[in-house]
Amino acid sequence: MTIHIVEDDPGVGDSLALLLGEIGHEVEVYPDAESFFENAPPGPQDILIVDLGLPGLSGVQLIRWVARLAAPPRVIAITGQSRRAIAELFGDDLQPVLLRKPLTEEALVALL
Amino acid sequence: MREEQTRSVSAVPSVSEARLESVLGTAVDGIVVMDDRARILLFNKACETLFGYTTEEVRGRNVKVLMPAEYAHAHDGYLNNYLETGEKRIIGIGREVRGMHRDGTEFPIELSVGEAATPEGRQFIGIIRDLRQRKAVERRLAEAQAQLVNVTRISALDEMGAAIAHELNQPLTAIMLYLQAAKRKVGDDHRDEKLIEIVDKGVREAERASQIIQRMRRFVEKRDPERRSVNVARLVNECLDLVTMGTDCSNIEIVNSVVDNLPDIAVDPVQIQQILINLIRNALDAVRQAPVKRVGVSAAVSGGDMLIRISDSGGGVPPEVVPTLFRAFSGAKKGGLGLGLTISRSIAQNHGGDLAVEPNGGEGGAAFVLRLPVDTPTREGQAAGPPGRKG
Repeated sequence: MTIHIVEDDPGVGDSLALLLGEIGHEVEVYPDAESFFENAPPGPQDILIVDLGLPGLSGVQLIRWVARLAAPPRVIAITGQSRRAIAELFGDDLQPVLLRKPLTEEALVALL
Repeated sequence: MREEQTRSVSAVPSVSEARLESVLGTAVDGIVVMDDRARILLFNKACETLFGYTTEEVRGRNVKVLMPAEYAHAHDGYLNNYLETGEKRIIGIGREVRGMHRDGTEFPIELSVGEAATPEGRQFIGIIRDLRQRKAVERRLAEAQAQLVNVTRISALDEMGAAIAHELNQPLTAIMLYLQAAKRKVGDDHRDEKLIEIVDKGVREAERASQIIQRMRRFVEKRDPERRSVNVARLVNECLDLVTMGTDCSNIEIVNSVVDNLPDIAVDPVQIQQILINLIRNALDAVRQAPVKRVGVSAAVSGGDMLIRISDSGGGVPPEVVPTLFRAFSGAKKGGLGLGLTISRSIAQNHGGDLAVEPNGGEGGAAFVLRLPVDTPTREGQAAGPPGRKG
């Protein structure tokens, strides 16, 4: 299993990778959705952590794309925005697991 | 104005006099004619309404009867001065003065005075426009602006809180994750109890900071956003009125090409006005020193979104500034915190829209594009939505 992290803030991406690596996971970090697409698509056993406020192709679009894969990975969205704003972004059809920043190890580990 | 004389000059005196009567009678403005001793010769219908006197009552009386005391005192002096020196203070110029109704009420008027040489001597024609309505409109606009500033200040505080919370979240998240990673690393090795304790304390302090941010965020999010169906053209017009009223932009060409028949948007009008006013002000500031001074506002529908575009012919946004343009406290503008664009984007995103910049927009300078969702008939149902969706 690989945890793919798509996060534009280098501090958040690096610290997240470091902590998950320390816990014992295999981790890949991408600064944006475009560089994530350059690699092989994730498998169903993988986990994808997506920051919703990405530059360029948005986190919401990335999650919509991943959801259409034949065997989609589990998706965790991370964001600083309010749940209400997020709910409006996704609409009724697709509500991903959501973690709000600042993230804690506890909340994160509970979802893995 | 003597009747015999008029008749002797004109072949059809009754027609021309009737015509004059009808012109004077239907004129919206008050018209007064006086002689060189300030005696009223003519007083039209509009004047009767304005001042509360009938023509018969004032004919032959000094025109001072229509003025408040301070003007009345000075009037003889003004008139004599003009008759002696020919120095024009009001003739051909017109100015804003006050008139006095029969009941003593004073009211603002715009008075223009013309002069005519007649066989009976010099006569002066005063045209009087009632300014009360215009004053009332100006006052309403000023009140609206003051109210907007007030509301804007409150909502700016909210939005500033949200913007700062958002900005602080990123480094704080990184700090907490780094510390937790460090704790795991030293914990695994079972080597240094003291170090584990220190890292634990660090984590606790970071958590404390994060709780403050969460409290701040809860406080801001507590308020349910107001969403109303709003006409884009009207909203833009109001903003332009409010911005141009308070600042000198007489030499700037403002091109408003927002058409009236666009679909409505579902927004909090005060907050969106705040964004638009902010963007328009920035645009005006940007072109003030530019060779071409033009600011454009346009709106168009794209997908399910309304795109409102504010472009200017200023210097554009330097490429090195673009990446941090919307960050809090990054503004290069003097005399501001650099929160305007941060707050504006935060408001737009809370509406399910966004704010973006084109560093070199259509007018040659920068263009800011505000994206907002178009109002849909199903919005009410969505807003009421399942309870689980409300954070």
